[in-house]
Amino acid sequence: MSVALRRRQAFKVMIGLGGTAASAMLPGPAQAERTAARSAESTTEEHPAHPVAPPDAIAMLYDNTICTGCKACMPACNEANSLPTDTLLSGGIWDMPLGLNAKTKNIVEPYQDPQTDEFAFVKKQCMHCLDPACVTGCLFGALVKQDLGAVTWNSSLCIGCRYCEVACPFEVPQFQWQNWNPKIVKCEFCYDQRLKEDLQPACTAACPTGTVIFGKRSDLLAQAKERISTAPDKYFEKRVYGEYEAGGTQVLYLSSVSLQKIGLPKLGSTSIGHYATKVTSVIYKWLVGPVVVAGIFGFFIRRNWDRHESERLEHEEKTGYPDQL
Amino acid sequence: MTTTEPTADKRGTTLINHWQCGVPVTQGPVLTPFLLLLIGIAALGLALAAIRFFSPLGPFSGMNDVYAWGIWKTFNVMTLTALGSGPLALGMAAWVFNRQKLHVVMRTALVSGFLFYATGLIALGFDVGRPWNFYSALMPWRWNSESAMLEISICMPLYCAVFLSFEILPLILERVYYTGNERARVILCRVAPMVRKAYPFVIVGAYVIPLMHQSSLGGLLLLAGTKINPLWQSPVLPLLYLVAAALCGFAFTILLLMIVCLRYSRDLDAGILAELANLLSGVCFVFLAVRLSDLIWREQLRTAFAFDRMSLLFLVESGLILIPALALRFQRIRETPRALLNMSALACLGGMLYRFIPTSIAYMPARSTAYFPSAPELVMAAGYIALGSVAFVLVINYFAVLPGEASAWNHTFRPFGWPRKAAESSPVMPDATGVTLERGI
Repeated sequence: MSVALRRRQAFKVMIGLGGTAASAMLPGPAQAERTAARSAESTTEEHPAHPVAPPDAIAMLYDNTICTGCKACMPACNEANSLPTDTLLSGGIWDMPLGLNAKTKNIVEPYQDPQTDEFAFVKKQCMHCLDPACVTGCLFGALVKQDLGAVTWNSSLCIGCRYCEVACPFEVPQFQWQNWNPKIVKCEFCYDQRLKEDLQPACTAACPTGTVIFGKRSDLLAQAKERISTAPDKYFEKRVYGEYEAGGTQVLYLSSVSLQKIGLPKLGSTSIGHYATKVTSVIYKWLVGPVVVAGIFGFFIRRNWDRHESERLEHEEKTGYPDQL
Repeated sequence: MTTTEPTADKRGTTLINHWQCGVPVTQGPVLTPFLLLLIGIAALGLALAAIRFFSPLGPFSGMNDVYAWGIWKTFNVMTLTALGSGPLALGMAAWVFNRQKLHVVMRTALVSGFLFYATGLIALGFDVGRPWNFYSALMPWRWNSESAMLEISICMPLYCAVFLSFEILPLILERVYYTGNERARVILCRVAPMVRKAYPFVIVGAYVIPLMHQSSLGGLLLLAGTKINPLWQSPVLPLLYLVAAALCGFAFTILLLMIVCLRYSRDLDAGILAELANLLSGVCFVFLAVRLSDLIWREQLRTAFAFDRMSLLFLVESGLILIPALALRFQRIRETPRALLNMSALACLGGMLYRFIPTSIAYMPARSTAYFPSAPELVMAAGYIALGSVAFVLVINYFAVLPGEASAWNHTFRPFGWPRKAAESSPVMPDATGVTLERGI
C-alpha cells in the first residue's frame, strides 16, 4: 500500500512538474501537451466535484414499484454476514430491527402515508458512494473503497472514533455500543463473502421478484432510465436516485413515492469529499502551507527573540531579576 | 519579560502595573475545601473512566448511531481546547507580533492550555471505541492524509506532549534548580543553555501546529455536510474555528488571570490587561466580520434573522461576541476590572457557544432521535474538567506561574544562563542566597 501511494504521489509530481516545465519551455507546440497533462491531472484528482464511475463499477438497482416487502433479502444478508438476529422487539421470536443497527446491515422499511393509502417500501443499506465521505474522513483507512467500488471496513485499522457515522449523509455505519471490542457494522457489498468469488451479493441473489438487481453500474443506470422512459408516470420525479446524489452512488433507486418520504435524503450533486477537501487539499499539498507558515513565523520569532535577548540582558543588569521564559 | 515599573494607582482601582514575572502562590493552605471537592469530582470521573475502559461504551453514554459524538468530543475537546488556545493566541501576539508585554502572562496561558489539551486528550482516549489500534499513528504509510480527523489525532497529542511541554519546560527547570541539590544544579547549568538555544526554533512548531489542528476541528464538520444547520455549515468553518480559538484563548486568559488574582489577592496590571482586552476586541471583530460576510456570501442572512430557534441561537452567540467587541473599544471599560471580567466572560461564552453548537444543537441528522448525555457521561466530563482545575491549583502553588511583582518572590537565582550569576553568589543554596519560601516543596 505504501509503495502504491508513493508511486501515485510521485506520478502526480511528475505530471505537475512535466506540465509546467513543458508549458514554460515550449509555449507554442506544447499547448496540446499541456491540455493533455491537465486532463491527466483532473482524472487523478483525489476528489473531483462530480466523480465518474470507473467502467468496472458494480451497482445495485432497487425499484420499489416491484418490491412486495417480503424481506427475503434480510435473512440472506444476516446469513452471508453471520449477523445475529435482532429479536428485541418481538420478544425473542422474529428478526425485527427498527432500522439499520449494529445487528442489521440491510433492511426493508415500509412507508405509509397517514392520510392517503399511498405506501411503498425502501431497502436500506450502504449506498457505496462513488466518493464516500466515510472513506475521506477515516483516519487510518479502515474504511476503503475496494475495486469494483465496494466500501469495506477493516477492524485492525479502526480506532472507533465514529467519524464515519458523522460523515455519512445516509447514516449507514453503525457502531456496536454494547460490545467492548466494538465494530463498525455496515453493508460491504458482500465483498469478502461473495464478490471475491464472483458471486452477486446475498440480497440481490435472494430477491425473488427482481426488485433489487445486481450488475455493472452503467448497465443498471441504462436499464433504470429505460424503465422510466417506458412508464414515466410510474416514477417519482422521473429520475434515478443515486445517479448524482452526493456525487453519485453505487446503489440506485427507482421510487413511486417521494424519495424524502421513504427516507432518502435530499442531497446535492457535488461529492461531499470534494466540498470538505477542496481548500485543505491545496493548503496541505506536500505540506507546503504549514511549511511556508512555519518559515514566516520562524523569521519573526527569531527576530523578536533577538530583540528579547538584548533587552533581557539590559533588564537583568538594571533590576537584578533574572528573566523567565 | 516586562520592563514596566509599578505605577501609581490612577483611577482608584486595583489596576496598577504590577506584573513583572511569574511568582508562585506562597500564602494560604493548598488543600482548601473547594480543592478537596474538585479532587472528589476528578476522582469520581476518573474511576468511572477506568470502569469504562473495561466496559462497552453503550451503558456509559447517551450516544447513539445518529448522535455518534457525545459531549466528551463536542465539549471536552471541541469546545474546551478553544479555551486552551491561550498559548497559541498569546504566544502569537508575543513572539510573532512582538507584543513584548505579554511574555509575563504566557506561563498562565501555557499551563491552562496544556491542562485543557491534556484533559481533552484523556477524554478522547476513553471516548474512542478501539483505542488499541491507535498505534497506526506511528506508521505514516497508514495515514489517510486527506482526513481532518487524522490531522487532529496526530497533531493534538504531538502539540501537547512535545511542543507545549517544551514551551513550559523552563518553568519546571527553574523549579528544579530552585529546590534541587547541587548535582541537579550542575546538570541544569548544562541543560538550560541548550533549552534556551533551541527555544526560538521549537516554538515555531508550537504555533504552526495548533493553527493546523484548531482549524481542522472546524474542517471535521465539513464532511457532515447537510446534517449541520446551514447557519453553521459553511466552507469557512475551519477559519472560523481558528478565529474562535484565538478569541476564546484571549478571553479565557483574561478571565483566568483576573479570577486567580482575585482569589490570591494579587494586584492587577492595567497595561497588560488592557493590551489583552484590546487584542480580544480585535479578534472578536475579525470573527464577526468573517461570520457576517460568510452568511452574506452564502445568502443565509434571511435565515439568520428568521427569529426561529436556530436563528435565536445564532443571535445569542453573535451577541455574546459583539458586546465585548464593542465594549472593550472603550478605554474606561478596559481599565475597570469588574467590566473587563464580565466582558471577557461573555466573549468566552460566545466563543464556546460557536464551537459547541455546530456539533450538538445545530447538528440535525434526518433520523429523529435525541441525544442527551447520560449521568456517567456528565460525571466523566466534569471529572476531566475538575482534574484540570486541581492540576492548575497545584501548579500555581508550586511553580512560578501567576504573574506578580518581581520583588514579591526573592529569587536571586538565574534559571537560565546562570554560570555567571552563580559564580557571584556561591554556594548557591536557597538559604544562602536569601531566597525564602513560606512553604517548601
